[in-house]
Amino acid sequence: MPDENWRSQLRKGWLELAILATLWDGRLYGLEILRRLENDSDLLVTEGTIYPVLNRLKEDGAVRAEWEEQSDSGHPRKYYSLTAAGRRRTLTMAHESAEFMRQMSGLLGPLLKEERR
Amino acid sequence: MSTSFDLDLQTRVDTYLMNLRRCLGELPAEEVNDILREIRGHILERAESAGELTDEKLVAILKALGKPEDIGPLYQAEAMVARARASFSPTLILRTVLRWAMKSVVGFAVFIVGLTGYGMALSFLVSAVMKPIFPDHVGAWLGDGGFSMGMEAPAPLHRTEILGWWIIPIGLVVGTLLLIATTRFLRWMLRFASGRPALAAV
Repeated sequence: MPDENWRSQLRKGWLELAILATLWDGRLYGLEILRRLENDSDLLVTEGTIYPVLNRLKEDGAVRAEWEEQSDSGHPRKYYSLTAAGRRRTLTMAHESAEFMRQMSGLLGPLLKEERR
Repeated sequence: MSTSFDLDLQTRVDTYLMNLRRCLGELPAEEVNDILREIRGHILERAESAGELTDEKLVAILKALGKPEDIGPLYQAEAMVARARASFSPTLILRTVLRWAMKSVVGFAVFIVGLTGYGMALSFLVSAVMKPIFPDHVGAWLGDGGFSMGMEAPAPLHRTEILGWWIIPIGLVVGTLLLIATTRFLRWMLRFASGRPALAAV
């Protein structure tokens, strides 16, 4: 079996793009981003890891954050949305990743096919 | 806070947040408060959707969130990369690149280039500053099949010093340019590495 370190590096590498992708259609707060990731991917082991990444994306200017007081839940939520620079970055990363995955599939496809036989 | 928390459960949440605060280390106070507010919100909202909150459920929520000792340093590492990318401080930039160097070959190569660049910048600047103090031992010497620059004691015998006092403006200008060029290069590499999964082990 591959070691856990390899898996965690793999997840870490994809996490930033996955977070940016969840924000493509509009603003979300941390827990909503987490729910999206839980539904659509296998990227998270510990939930807390998305918050430091969001914090850095904010410092980088890829996302902006705004606090909103909630009347229903009683505690404030921090909403994140993509900036114009963040949208460009997400698109570039998406293109590069798609190309990367295409190359990897080319490499791994035959091997997996052979295994199925 | 709207949730009517059991006092024990409240204490458990507070302890978690206190530990997290401790693990956030040297981050600015304002940022620390912002982080704790967000994480507290996360815990409370998870707790609310858990139905009746029991000790076991809270433990599970905190476990899923991760240990403060694991999350805190992540903030510091992420913040360090972000600050270094936006910073002009050679020490902060070089320290960040050093962390990168320990994780990947590309990082190591960038670190070596950075170290060489800053080293050369420093020697040009030091030469300029030291010239008035040791006029005979600082200079650029040519001849005898070689070239050397900097401080030499004793001064090389069979070579001619070619710059004279010009070493001061030249040292200052070239040193400063090297300093800026190296800083720009490292910042650019840090930006370049982010967002590329293959290099992102920054």
